[in-house]
Amino acid sequence: MKKTLCLTLILLFALGSLAFAQNTVKIGVVGPRTGPAAATGKAFEEGIAIALDHLNAKGGVMGKKVEVVFEDTGGVPEKAASALERLATREKVPIVVGESHSSSALAEIEVANRYKIPLIICEAWHDDITQKGYKWVFRAGPANSGVVDFYIAPFVKANGFKKAAIVRENSDWGAGIAERTEMNLKNMNIPFVTLKVERESKDFYTELTKLKGENPDIILAYIYGTGLHFFISQASEVGLSPKALILDGAGPPSLWDSFWKNVGNAGELELFMSSMHEKVHLTPTSRKFWDDYVKKYGKAPTDYKTRSIYNVVLIAADAINRAKSTNPEALVAALEKTNLEVTTGMVKFGLKQGSYEYHQWMPPMLVVQWQNKQQVVVYPKEGATGPLKKTK
Amino acid sequence: MYVTNGIVIGVINAISAIGVSLIVGIMKVVNFAHGEMYIFAGYFSYHLSNSLGLPPVLSMIVAVGFVFLFGLLMERTLIRPTYGDDMYSLIITFVLSIVLQNLALLIFGPYPNKPPNLVSGATNLFGLFHYGNQRLASFFISIGILLFIFYLIKKTWFGKSIRAISQDREMSSLLGVDHLRMNMFSFGLGAALAGAAGVILAPVFPVTPTGSSSISLNAFVVVVLGGMGSLKGCLVGGLVLGIIENLGAAYISTMYRSIFAFVILILVLVFRPWGLYGQKT
Repeated sequence: MKKTLCLTLILLFALGSLAFAQNTVKIGVVGPRTGPAAATGKAFEEGIAIALDHLNAKGGVMGKKVEVVFEDTGGVPEKAASALERLATREKVPIVVGESHSSSALAEIEVANRYKIPLIICEAWHDDITQKGYKWVFRAGPANSGVVDFYIAPFVKANGFKKAAIVRENSDWGAGIAERTEMNLKNMNIPFVTLKVERESKDFYTELTKLKGENPDIILAYIYGTGLHFFISQASEVGLSPKALILDGAGPPSLWDSFWKNVGNAGELELFMSSMHEKVHLTPTSRKFWDDYVKKYGKAPTDYKTRSIYNVVLIAADAINRAKSTNPEALVAALEKTNLEVTTGMVKFGLKQGSYEYHQWMPPMLVVQWQNKQQVVVYPKEGATGPLKKTK
Repeated sequence: MYVTNGIVIGVINAISAIGVSLIVGIMKVVNFAHGEMYIFAGYFSYHLSNSLGLPPVLSMIVAVGFVFLFGLLMERTLIRPTYGDDMYSLIITFVLSIVLQNLALLIFGPYPNKPPNLVSGATNLFGLFHYGNQRLASFFISIGILLFIFYLIKKTWFGKSIRAISQDREMSSLLGVDHLRMNMFSFGLGAALAGAAGVILAPVFPVTPTGSSSISLNAFVVVVLGGMGSLKGCLVGGLVLGIIENLGAAYISTMYRSIFAFVILILVLVFRPWGLYGQKT
């Protein structure tokens, strides 16, 4: 009896997925919907919804409706690997996009490589993700080296900061971006100190007291999640900031709804990396995304990861359309020829192997400062909407 | 500076630990859901003040009251049937801890929530360093609560009965102490103390649904360190843990802050299993 029941269930499932397979094209998404960065999952959901509206209004992909299967990674590498495995084997999606944790992404690329399934990472910055040279792995988003070499380091130099403090969490992203920053600062002859902190830490008084003794004028904070909020408010309590400005090297935590509630006035003059600003629209798609978002949610988008996931869903759909199939080899070939306008520019993946630039497309970034609770772009010059403010 | 922060965090550790100690000492029940009481109180005080607009202090008191009632209810329904069998109560509170954690995730969402500060800004202490006013306020409130608990246990009839029960349950009931009601009340009080630590600390370290395990762990380390059932032990244990964590982070490495607690736990269990002030049995 039990056997028959099991068999029936399996058959039903099989039939169900078959039925779907005929009418829709599925795109897999991986990202944290729980855990310390659950807010990213929320941002992803919003971006996916807008991307699907946009794609399906234009008639979908290959004449079929596009559907997304979003698997939770919890920000944990083991869960991330099994999430991707589930997408590849059970959901049988032809392509997967997403991810915002480097540690998770590094686990996922191994699975993608094993199952030969194209994977487009959008917001995991570790160099190795593309540097490993996997044919199946692409990234349409920032890489640590790109962010540091082109934005953070030049920003520190251009504004004449005299001593930097690097505070980094104990994650793959934190280690990678801190190392790259140290290299750049050394080359520019700017003295610095580095402090490692725990990713889930809440009390930074000890760390901050240590830092105060070093007297830096810029703090490069590579802490993701609400830990950053604690860091900022406590830095102001011990009198370290705003004398030393804090730059949030990731960005989104400085834009979460809870930011001002958690940091209070300590948020004033804080700096953060972003790839999105209300007044900076690099392409018509960017404008359309903004308008669609406002129409759907009745407020302006804040977390730029909403837009990052929107971009990669569009890139995946475009590749399937051009490949005219869901065959993985054909999809990789199509992705390598991508020439698509998204919200942050024209996507074109690097093809030269041997560095992080392989299968990588780096969107332009901005350094933004909170001035009277308004976001002011202060770097690079071309995009600046105002000057950097320091305290005397 | 490091020592000051250690003392402040230590005293608040102690409150939550006294809650555990009370329950373990009197009822021989290990309450795994202790951290959840802390978290729920934090969320209650957040929602009472932010969503309902009650003044912060009142919402703190009401939140602790809620948790006290919840503690009474929990004792009456879940713990009382398990008396005499430590294993059952252990499993029940462990399961309850998981249920409550997920409940918190469901009701309050994954985001950390921070009730409003009682005071803002920072004070320059001894002309040496700046220290957050909210932390100082938390410190003084905690001292107040500690004094109250010491008074309650050492000087009042209630305290005497509690101590009598923990020494000899049968004898004390023969002498007219209603041990069932005492159990219920002290369980509620234990939960309320976790709640008190929660509402005091939430403005400094916003609460998250999954933050409870480290709180329970800290409380247990303090209790083991200080000695089961000893109030003085809780205070000293809390202070020692707070100071060692901060000095360790300052002079050894900030990366291993939470490892120090485990190292202390292991050392105490190996060399002095009855704790600093506990009784050798």
